[in-house]
Amino acid sequence: MKLAALLLACAFSAPASTYYLTITGLGGEPDYTQHFKMWAEDIDTSLKRAGGDANIITMQVPTREQVRARFADLARQVKAADTFVLMLIGHGTYDGVDYKFNLQGPDITAGELAGLMDHVPAQRQLVVNMTECSGGSIEQLRRPTRIVVSATRSGTERNSTVFARYWAEALREPSADTDKNEAISALEAFRYAQQKTTEFFETQKRLATEHSVIEDTGKGTGERTPNLENGEGKLAASFAVVRLGANAAAARDPAKRPLLDRKEQLEQAIYKLKFEKAAMPENEYKRQLTQLLLELAKVQEAIDK
Amino acid sequence: MRQLAFGLVLLTANAVCAQTLQQAEARWKARDYQGANEVFRQLVAADPKNPDLKVRWGRLYLDHAQPNDAQDLFAEALEIKKDHPGALLGLALIASEGFEGRAADLARKALEGDPKLVEAQELLAYLALEDNDNPKAADEAHKALALDANSVTGKAVLATIDWLADKKETQWDPHVAKGYEVAGHFFVINRRYEEGIQYYRKALELDPQLYSARSQLGVNLMRLGQNEEAYKQLEICFNNGYQDAATRNSLKLMDSYKNFVTFTTPRTILKLHKKEAALLRPYIESEMEKAIATYEDKYRMKLTRPVQVEVYPDHEDFAVRTMGLPGLGALGVTFGYSIAMDSPSGRPPGQFHWASTLWHEMSHVFTLTATNHHVPRWFTEGMAVHEETAVSPEWGDRLTPDVIAAIKNKKLLPVTELDRGFVHPVSPGQVVVSYFQAGKICDYINNKWGWNTLLAMLHDFAGAMETADVVRKELKIEPAEFDKQFIASVEAETKTVVTSYDDWKKGMRSLVDKVAEKQWDAVIAEAPKLRDDYPDYVEDHNAYEALAQAYLAKGNKQAALAELERYEKVGGRNPETLKNLAKQLEDAGRPKDAAAALDRINYIYPMDAAAHRSLGALWLVQDNPKGAIREFQAVLARNPLDQAQAHYDLARAYQANRQLSQANDECLAALEAAPGFRPAQKLLLELSNSPEPDAPSPVKK
Repeated sequence: MKLAALLLACAFSAPASTYYLTITGLGGEPDYTQHFKMWAEDIDTSLKRAGGDANIITMQVPTREQVRARFADLARQVKAADTFVLMLIGHGTYDGVDYKFNLQGPDITAGELAGLMDHVPAQRQLVVNMTECSGGSIEQLRRPTRIVVSATRSGTERNSTVFARYWAEALREPSADTDKNEAISALEAFRYAQQKTTEFFETQKRLATEHSVIEDTGKGTGERTPNLENGEGKLAASFAVVRLGANAAAARDPAKRPLLDRKEQLEQAIYKLKFEKAAMPENEYKRQLTQLLLELAKVQEAIDK
Repeated sequence: MRQLAFGLVLLTANAVCAQTLQQAEARWKARDYQGANEVFRQLVAADPKNPDLKVRWGRLYLDHAQPNDAQDLFAEALEIKKDHPGALLGLALIASEGFEGRAADLARKALEGDPKLVEAQELLAYLALEDNDNPKAADEAHKALALDANSVTGKAVLATIDWLADKKETQWDPHVAKGYEVAGHFFVINRRYEEGIQYYRKALELDPQLYSARSQLGVNLMRLGQNEEAYKQLEICFNNGYQDAATRNSLKLMDSYKNFVTFTTPRTILKLHKKEAALLRPYIESEMEKAIATYEDKYRMKLTRPVQVEVYPDHEDFAVRTMGLPGLGALGVTFGYSIAMDSPSGRPPGQFHWASTLWHEMSHVFTLTATNHHVPRWFTEGMAVHEETAVSPEWGDRLTPDVIAAIKNKKLLPVTELDRGFVHPVSPGQVVVSYFQAGKICDYINNKWGWNTLLAMLHDFAGAMETADVVRKELKIEPAEFDKQFIASVEAETKTVVTSYDDWKKGMRSLVDKVAEKQWDAVIAEAPKLRDDYPDYVEDHNAYEALAQAYLAKGNKQAALAELERYEKVGGRNPETLKNLAKQLEDAGRPKDAAAALDRINYIYPMDAAAHRSLGALWLVQDNPKGAIREFQAVLARNPLDQAQAHYDLARAYQANRQLSQANDECLAALEAAPGFRPAQKLLLELSNSPEPDAPSPVKK
């Protein structure tokens, strides 16, 4: 199980292509309209700056028909090996049964969004719903191979949210890359945006009115703190939303294959050692960790030459 | 027959009423509050238009520490009978508990309605003594005794005047519990907590069921850090139905002490909440040490024991520490050697200069100790405010609109009456104005007569001299003449801002609109005059930030930088703006100044991990590894998401400080979090090739 998780974590091998679709909804008031636009543009810029084999689409305040048309295009273009990311910025509502994302004209329900995403062939999908009430969309959107991030833990958190601001920030902020593998995973971006949102309310001395959650098992209701115990976050940990460096380049050089194999072995050994930390004498743990890390550093040095 | 029957019914009703009122009073006297309350309820239901019943019922609530319910009943009584003396007295008593300036007016109005209302007369004596106006307090107390030769409060006020002047024997000793409780109150509000506690104990010896005194005993023991007994006393009150806000909240606060950790040095005791202890300790502890060393030198005295500082991240917890005390700053409070204050995390960023508050409170420790707690309120506050800007001109409070209005409307108080501005402010802003005035008086004396004169005044106060006599003795001037000269000096200093204030307000409204509309040329044209008309205004939407924003929008980085530097020098405290200043300074090739700008944030809002990291990085390249270590440790104390970077930064700082063992540990921690982190990998290889690591050594800034 642990090894499987590790392999997932190491599985940042480049997919065929990543398709990003960011949609902003109706602001209703100039302030909201301006913020939604700004955050969407921020995301768009970060994704384009990252480059790579990506297909980036940003729709500002579309109608439901325009959204349907865009999904129809995606259903034709995207392949099973591709990755698909949907980001929703705006207002949402929840009446106890249906979640709706506010668009120009008729709104779109979580059920319909889920259906549209189901028609996109990409096996690995991420949907980030950053509206108020977005927790109410989890049940409809979740699938076994789809990560769902929502700005609120339920449909009843009805105040407009700031999560989108920090999600956008996460995609351009190197400190969000906590494992320093030059890619920001869905889990890293989620944790970054969640912490920043929490700090926002603490700093402003305001009662927190949004509590973001993540669901990536296809059967949960969303977790605030994904971890091994609750089983959430594995898929999200291996899902690269943005790549910051050229770490995949070395993988294409056959001459470095043995070094890369050794690197992977060492990483697995370190991962295993960390799990055994609690059961080991501190000095012994430190000795073994130092040994492995030193060798890993030397191997990496050789790869970088 | 019908008339008689009617008469009989009336007679019966009156008899029942009289009998029941006696029952209510008897139960009340026996401290059966629930029983008395029930009887009052029935009485008022039977006779809803009787204001006397409502007033007595209100007094029961007041006695049971339920002032809101009491106030409603007094208001209802006044609706039935306008100017009902008992109801006015009730309201006066409530106002007095909250140290409201209107308490005396209400008491006087009650006396006009009933010149024999001894309690109203007693209250006037009590209020005058709270203002430290001894002659007036004695006069009012004698009037109360003329109305009732056994007036406990009348005697207690007279006795307290003697006791406060350190006269052990007095002919007015009331010899009753309530009288000693009154004395306890006056010692406490004069910051003589130890003696106050002794009077509360004396009261309880005579009447162990006087829970109001027992509660105050507990609260004041808590203020002095004697928590075990404090808790016991307050718990007795609570368990016996005396559950006023002070009792309830103090118990709750002490229950939360398990979440605090204590750090001690030979001279300091620092209590911090667990969640921020690692972050705040280095900053606060070092300021405590600096303040003690500075003040020992300035005040020419040595403290005999460590100073304790408690720092509360939840402002409500801090507020419990100041409950029932008049005219105290909303940010810190000193009880002898013990200080309680807000944590920098307890306020929105930029609203609170914690270091300024700490130095202010530490100054009280010295002035209170030097005078054995005999210093008048205005002087200890004035010295404390003076000390804030003595540390740095950027510290301390700025000139506020309340103060400008007070100067303009000639509302500054005579020096001999300045205590009244703290104890019984006539408006919410008067306490702020009084702090300003007291501070300015000390600045004025310091500039004109010198520091030694301020010290001489302090010594006079230690000898229990009154303000008027101290002014005459040390300044060689009559108090009225001093006021004249002082006010003339303040008016001259503030002339521009006072005369242009109304226009400034209009101008600022217009400026804010122009900033919102991004009319940068107009902002650049108008803001300088607004800035210069009221240079102390550094709060939200100030001219400095507007100008800097406008200059940056126009691409004039140099002018923006100059404006931000002005903002910083005049005491601007918005951490985001100071961070922007640091960035502009760094961009302008002035890393040393950039570090200084970021270091200022440490004294305002040290909760920002990004600012600590930037400062650490700047200090590291400026060959200040110890400073960098402190800053990178602060980053880690904020438990950042990016653990790898935080440990790596700290490792580099240790390496620069030749603490190679610590550097190695931090580097391992970085790589444990992120094994593929290349800079940390390189550092690990470098460290592994270094000579044997040093033995771990303690790190200090």
